[in-house]
Amino acid sequence: MLSLTVTKKRNIFEKISKEDVYKNLLDIFGSHYVSDKDVDLYPYSYDMTECEPHMPDFVVIPQNIEQLVELVKFCNANLIPIVPYISGNNVGGLTIPEQGGIIVDFGKKMNKILHVNENMMYAILEPGVTFGQLKKYLDENYPTLRYSYPMAPPYAGVVGNALLSGMNNLSCKIGSMGDSINGLEVITADGDIARIGSCFYGKNEADPDSWWSRYPMPDLIGLFVNWQGMTGLVTKCAVQLWPNKPIQKAFVAIAFGLTDIADLLREVGRSEIADDMSYFNIAAAKLTMGIEHPRQFPEEPEFLVIIPISAKTEEMFEAKKNILFNIIAELNIKGNNLIIADFDEFSRLAGLKYRCIYDLPAVVIPTVLKSGITWFGSYCPTHKFEELIEKVDEIFRKYDYHSPIIYGKIMKYAHYGIFRPILPYNKFTEEEKVHQILEEMTDFCLSLGCIPYKTPNWMTEKMRKKINPGWIKLFEKIKSCMDPNNIFNPGRWNL
Amino acid sequence: MVEIDKSLHGKDFLEMAFDYCIKCSTCKYGYKSYEKICPSGEKYLFESYWPSGRIRIIRGLLRRELDWNDELIDPIFACTTCAACVDACQAPHADHIVEMIEALRELAVKHIGPAKNQEFLVSRCKENCNPYGEPNSDNEELKKKYNLPDKAEWVYFIGCTSNYRQQSIRDTTLRFLKKVGIDFTLIDEHCCTSPMIRTGQLGIVKDYMNYNIAQIKNTGASKVITSCAGCYRTFMKDFEKFGVHYEFEVFHTLELVKQLLDKGKIEFKSEYNKTVTYHDPCHLGRHMGVYELPREIYKQIPGLKLVEMRRNRNFAWCCGAGGGVKIGYPEWSVEISKERLEEVKETSATIISSTCPFCHRNLSDANNDYNYDFEILDLMEIIDKLEIEVK
Repeated sequence: MLSLTVTKKRNIFEKISKEDVYKNLLDIFGSHYVSDKDVDLYPYSYDMTECEPHMPDFVVIPQNIEQLVELVKFCNANLIPIVPYISGNNVGGLTIPEQGGIIVDFGKKMNKILHVNENMMYAILEPGVTFGQLKKYLDENYPTLRYSYPMAPPYAGVVGNALLSGMNNLSCKIGSMGDSINGLEVITADGDIARIGSCFYGKNEADPDSWWSRYPMPDLIGLFVNWQGMTGLVTKCAVQLWPNKPIQKAFVAIAFGLTDIADLLREVGRSEIADDMSYFNIAAAKLTMGIEHPRQFPEEPEFLVIIPISAKTEEMFEAKKNILFNIIAELNIKGNNLIIADFDEFSRLAGLKYRCIYDLPAVVIPTVLKSGITWFGSYCPTHKFEELIEKVDEIFRKYDYHSPIIYGKIMKYAHYGIFRPILPYNKFTEEEKVHQILEEMTDFCLSLGCIPYKTPNWMTEKMRKKINPGWIKLFEKIKSCMDPNNIFNPGRWNL
Repeated sequence: MVEIDKSLHGKDFLEMAFDYCIKCSTCKYGYKSYEKICPSGEKYLFESYWPSGRIRIIRGLLRRELDWNDELIDPIFACTTCAACVDACQAPHADHIVEMIEALRELAVKHIGPAKNQEFLVSRCKENCNPYGEPNSDNEELKKKYNLPDKAEWVYFIGCTSNYRQQSIRDTTLRFLKKVGIDFTLIDEHCCTSPMIRTGQLGIVKDYMNYNIAQIKNTGASKVITSCAGCYRTFMKDFEKFGVHYEFEVFHTLELVKQLLDKGKIEFKSEYNKTVTYHDPCHLGRHMGVYELPREIYKQIPGLKLVEMRRNRNFAWCCGAGGGVKIGYPEWSVEISKERLEEVKETSATIISSTCPFCHRNLSDANNDYNYDFEILDLMEIIDKLEIEVK
């Protein structure tokens, strides 16, 4: 039998015995919040993707920053890896402890919404706060504000998603979640606590109303965004909130040509009318209707694009709607084959099981149909949309893949795009096959300049071969400077 | 693929663990309510104590990546099987999460045994036919007291908790049935087997089910009524799953009360001027989908003011007694109920009412142990205080 859980590669107990590590963890966290039992460790050893599993040696549940400072100092002195974990719905093996060590499960106790500044529209969060939790809190206490929610399970972590530059349903307007970070509190390798962003004033505690900007000081936040937990432990994060506009409606554009959505995304994107533009292929739509093994028939549409539009007044909404309809009409004159419909009506007609497109989508049905899911999630150049769609569609067809999902977005009024082939799969029988397909897609997409995010190690290995040496050298210098003993999520980016 | 012992009753549910669950965590909190719903996860915190973690444990054990040892006991058995996760999960296996956990327990019983003291559920039954270890009541005394015939249209299946612990629920139900003129009798009951099924101890289950059916058949009854949500769930769902079939209809007492009210056969004539909150029993609510029926009855009681707790209906916080937790983890079980009583404090209610003797018992234990001042009353106990006109 192929073993799912692989033994770690490095002996992390050279400086201190495992028993002594356990004793220290008990001292720091208390017995209820530390486990070294296999049964407790096992659920942390793999994620929903095909990434190689590894068992941690311990899991701890922190309750405050003082415990974490002690942990970091202890681990830095004894060369013990620390892997941050929030809610466990990870991709890319991001929280799989490549070299064993300690899983720091933030999701259970360090999950408080510490402050909301209604005027400057931001929230200060502990790492364990989930999208569902934040939405509920804002709805109940600050109904004029909203956060930008991803097409992800409602219990994904907000801070993790922001630090990894995830998508959201205001992406057409605001771009990546990483752009919306105002400030961070982090613990660095030597156990120092640093506050970054406009909250940096103040020798001790920061004024909670001071977390309002990321600039104009040197952008140290960049030392932690997209580093996959390799440079320090983030313990607080201020994220921008957005006005919750009174009028929110969505349209769906239905595209009949395989690449008809490309012009649509670019043109509507740059018109500055849409909050978000998410596209997905007809197979994804059919999975959402509950069709288990979708097949495509001639004359069927190829793609759907959901376009939520918000406005403060009816007049503003009508103006935006008219712009959208005019763009569609102009594109059709140029030879595209697009129709537009009211999303609510269409989703009822088609039986799409989306629960709430304007706000927190909660659950995207096709993503939970099997026991595993993997993807090539990437930022992409928008002028390559056509090539990307055609080739990935071809690869799915070549393998006759049962659940071929292509999903993506236009970002920040069309400055860039998201291209994301997704493969739901059976975790225990299809891992080799999905990996082969994914690898083929990755090679092609990288060749067109796509930049994957939330990357597994095998993907960063491919990227390294294409990245200029100066970048790699700088990247590695920063890593070794920030984390000289390689205790923070070691193994990521093969470091 | 892994090999699964074909003799296991829950083998199909164990297999399901390999087909579904990406561990998206949707099972952990109320769907779209974003409330805490999982007593086990909230208490023990580690992923192994949440539904998706338990599904991972199934995988680990069957793939032999986890060894059988006593460390598995708590993650497997410290769960009330309240089905809050069933309600929250949106994946194809959602409806079967409790069955997956019960199948894991069946497997665990074969390797490491159940949790501490849960084995008494079976040994006491073997001795006295009830999990409390009380001398078996054949219910002949009650039949004499209430002048009940041997043959009747209905059988009142009392259930062990009402018969041996929360006897007021039994007695008020008996009085109600007499008062409204139902033609009913009692049988010499064996445990309905719910405690054994919930803890994976299935050895005596089918025999007990068949025994109870034979007893009911002897009375000539075409209808069975029970005042216990656990017995009701077991008759309605588990008998069929164990391949045990019966031809009578099964009702919870509140269904009869509602029918009689709707048909105008009874009318509540006196007032009950108190503020009541209803605690949804898991076995009636999430397990059977009965949410509105009890509320409709409370609302028909003159003077009674019904108020809701923050988490109600499908989001209701479990009382903590089910799934073998009351006997296996008695202190934690009452802690769970304490959290429910804290929620009652947020309302104006002075009375917590339910329709399950097990909830009644555990809520009462928390009320006493933690010095709350609520009154815990079953719906039948409230109805018993009313003047009822039978038409």
